[in-house]
Amino acid sequence: MSQSSSTIQLDGQSLTLADVVAVARLGARPRLAEHARLEMGRSHDWVMRAASGDLRDATGAPLPVYGVNTGYGSLARKRIELSDIRALSSNLIRSHAAGVGPEVDSEVVRAMMLLRANALAKGASGCRPLLVDTLCAMLEAGVIPAVPSQGSCGSSGDLAPLAHLGLVLFDGPEEASGHARLGGERMTGKAAMEQAGIERLSPGPKEGLAVTNGAQLTCAITALACHDADALVHDAEIAAALSWEALRGVTRALHPAVHQLRPFPGAIASAASLRRMLSGSSLVDSDADKVQDAYSLRCAPIVLGAVRDALEYVRSQVLVELNAVTDNPVILVDTEPANKAYSAGLFHGEPIGFAADHLKLAMSELAALSERRTYRLTTSSLSAMVASLPDVMPQTTAAALVATCRQLSLPASADSIPTCEDQEDFVAMSTTAARRASEVLVHARRVVAIETVVAARSLQRIRQAAPDTVFGPAAAAVLPLMEGAEARVPADLIDFVDTQLRNRTFAHALERRAP
Amino acid sequence: MSPVVLDGRTLDVAQLAAISAGAQVTLDDEAAARMRASVELYQQHGHTDVVRQKWAWIVGGTPPIDRDTAIRVFIEGHCAGVGEPLPIAVVRATMASRANVLATGFSGCRPDAARALVAMLNAHITPVVPAEGSVGAAGCTSLAHIARVVCGYGGEAYVSGERVPAVEALRKLETAFCPTEKEALSLINGSTLAAATAALAVDAAARYLRAADAAAALSLEVCRADLNSFAPEAHEARGHAGPAKVAARLRDQVRGSELVAEGRKPDSFAIRCTPAVHGAAWDALAYVRSVVDTELNAAVDNPLVFESGVVEAGNFHGAAVGLAMDHLKVALAQVATIADRRIYRLTYGELSGLPSFLVPGTGVNSGLMLAQYTAASLTSECRGLAQPASVQAIPTVQHHEDHVPMATLAARTAARVADLLADVVAIELLCAAQGLDLRLDGDTVGGNLTIPAGRPGIGTRATWQTVRVLVDRWIEDRVLHTDLAALGTAVREGRFG
Repeated sequence: MSQSSSTIQLDGQSLTLADVVAVARLGARPRLAEHARLEMGRSHDWVMRAASGDLRDATGAPLPVYGVNTGYGSLARKRIELSDIRALSSNLIRSHAAGVGPEVDSEVVRAMMLLRANALAKGASGCRPLLVDTLCAMLEAGVIPAVPSQGSCGSSGDLAPLAHLGLVLFDGPEEASGHARLGGERMTGKAAMEQAGIERLSPGPKEGLAVTNGAQLTCAITALACHDADALVHDAEIAAALSWEALRGVTRALHPAVHQLRPFPGAIASAASLRRMLSGSSLVDSDADKVQDAYSLRCAPIVLGAVRDALEYVRSQVLVELNAVTDNPVILVDTEPANKAYSAGLFHGEPIGFAADHLKLAMSELAALSERRTYRLTTSSLSAMVASLPDVMPQTTAAALVATCRQLSLPASADSIPTCEDQEDFVAMSTTAARRASEVLVHARRVVAIETVVAARSLQRIRQAAPDTVFGPAAAAVLPLMEGAEARVPADLIDFVDTQLRNRTFAHALERRAP
Repeated sequence: MSPVVLDGRTLDVAQLAAISAGAQVTLDDEAAARMRASVELYQQHGHTDVVRQKWAWIVGGTPPIDRDTAIRVFIEGHCAGVGEPLPIAVVRATMASRANVLATGFSGCRPDAARALVAMLNAHITPVVPAEGSVGAAGCTSLAHIARVVCGYGGEAYVSGERVPAVEALRKLETAFCPTEKEALSLINGSTLAAATAALAVDAAARYLRAADAAAALSLEVCRADLNSFAPEAHEARGHAGPAKVAARLRDQVRGSELVAEGRKPDSFAIRCTPAVHGAAWDALAYVRSVVDTELNAAVDNPLVFESGVVEAGNFHGAAVGLAMDHLKVALAQVATIADRRIYRLTYGELSGLPSFLVPGTGVNSGLMLAQYTAASLTSECRGLAQPASVQAIPTVQHHEDHVPMATLAARTAARVADLLADVVAIELLCAAQGLDLRLDGDTVGGNLTIPAGRPGIGTRATWQTVRVLVDRWIEDRVLHTDLAALGTAVREGRFG
């Protein structure tokens, strides 16, 4: 990760997708905004009064506040003694650290920590500002808790994954401190915090809940995937433009007036993007006998446009969640009733789970469309080009990847299994949706890499045969970057291009050429 | 342990699992003789330029004139895999399985071709093979990545866990392997990655189903099940082998128990129908295993060499294994769903008659609440992965290979479902062992709950003891992950059932 000196103010209201990427991947430093600190203090004061027994109900008994002086989940009917209130938070973290399976990538854990901090910064969770300060300090020092990827139902939030963060954040014996990475080394959570010089916190009333309640792992994965999907749509358009040239496509399908007749914003944008990428090409529209192309070219702006529109929806959902309170209960200090704690369902992962499911469907379709163009390029009877072995075999690989994407793109949100003695009787499965979305994205990028490889090699051969060929801006930007890349073993070339896509090399080259 | 003999006829799932874990391998003498004979036949039938033929099939035109260059370009051109490397165990199983395909003696390959793979297996040289890209038919990209190393063309290999250039790794071997045209094709032609992945999934599934039976028996004790549901007459009257076997196993496990009894009121389906569901899964596994065992000893190659002539058929197509794997993952997913429902019952105070989440107390402890959440999440993952892969088919290779089975995807997801099931079973073991502790205590756990005490059966006691060696009884809340990880490992190692 390259170090960035930028600082991001957290107040629960203004976090952007770019901020998430900056903190997760570029080392930007989050800080609690001063006005947010004041807001947090107000709800915290109220919780402390409830926890101290200061607030009483009509019978004179301590006012019951969920998770402050009651048990959790279906144990909410049980009242907790004042003396046990702190143990309640510690126990929550340990017993909820129930994840299994491979660990989540560090960048995702960073994003999850940031989102959690921002949710608390909104000031409705009743916890200390120190909690946010400590999360920020961990991010800055690079203490990255080990978070197993499996086991969350996304409701009530990503309890288990966030509890694994809690093991590191909150104090307790070394064997109950989980694990963390610091400077690439794995150690116990306690050792990591000591090495980083950050004090682990003794959890206050409700603070266990405040850290664990909410679908932040779901949202962290989805936010980063959403960012990467944006890039991939652009790269898929570059690949499509290369194929368009190699297959001597008819650009009338991209005419702006056409897309005004069915004015989906994504389709209008995709058609415009493809037109720009193809402008000046001597190959497109050069086949006088061809009036229209196959769907994989002709419908590309429609399909990629639908993908763009889907991403717009996903982004809008993510943006709301980035600045949302997600725990339970929420403390609304400015409301009338004496009991300012409102139990609701803000933790439920469904809004992001839907978005993640939609994202993976969109990415899967992007891949499937790309694969059909690769098939065209490598099938002589369809392309009117001579096929070559190192191009044909990658098409089979693309087919395997598309089948994998299709299987993963079945909606996870459609599933639910009752939990917690029927108290949590409808859960989101949003974390699974998000993890699959990010898996589909990785496969889809490889499919686009394969199309890019095959189309670029076709164009290289076309230019060899006809040196006066004029390429459009996309091909003109990409081809020089692929010169000299070893082509005999297709896996090496695909891997090279996949790396270029991840680094956005082609898109940046195109931007320099045609800003 | 003596080396596993590859004879092209008797390789089974257990042997392949042993090889994948590091066992030595040798080629059977008779198989070698058959292989030599098939080379002669192949030449007698006047076939040698198969790479040229396949080249024309795949891309049209002709390969480079020089034969060795053509072979090399042919294999390297098939190396189109992407993604993270496959686990070493899977690559070893694939190599052994492919060597056994050649050992069937229908491929027109010299024994040297199989021995090249055997030598690498015995020297623990494992090619680095990207995980993605195989559709489970014909010229397999994953096999090509292996062949590239076998032939010394390039690529990378693991040598005792370390990733090194293939050329360097091969220096450990006495002889280099230089393939004939037919050998080049036979090294890469067929759904062997799918078959090997399937074999390892079958091996794991059997371990996890045994553990699932043991865990269910423990749950029967905790839920004080009605033994009538497991009466042999009932299961004989229906006649399916698996359910009868599971019912008998459950009865056997609880023999001597004071907790279960005949003639109580019928239990919920998750308890009562355990033989029906687990048994159906065992029957499914038996079918799947027979398909995989057949495939492991099959001539999964093309063209094939017979005395009567050389035959072009579709033996490389992985449909049989793909269908079986899709079936296996549905069966395993269903076992996860019923285990989740038993876990739900165990942790649900009103349904179990035990304290909520199996921990007495005041609500300060959440006990095993989250264990069931994790089980639900894993079960849901199983359901998603259980969707069939075999129904997908995407045309490939210029209209020629216009139906492919996606068998590798089916096998890989079956293996993933099996792996998820291992954790679900671990959770049931954790919860049921905790429940049994409460039953052993009887009503001394306090509160207003009356818990009838009783001893478990001999088999279930042994299961409970194995759990207790690994994890302590839950008294106060602690890090649940530690318990889940310990029991998950034990289930994977086959320590239950």
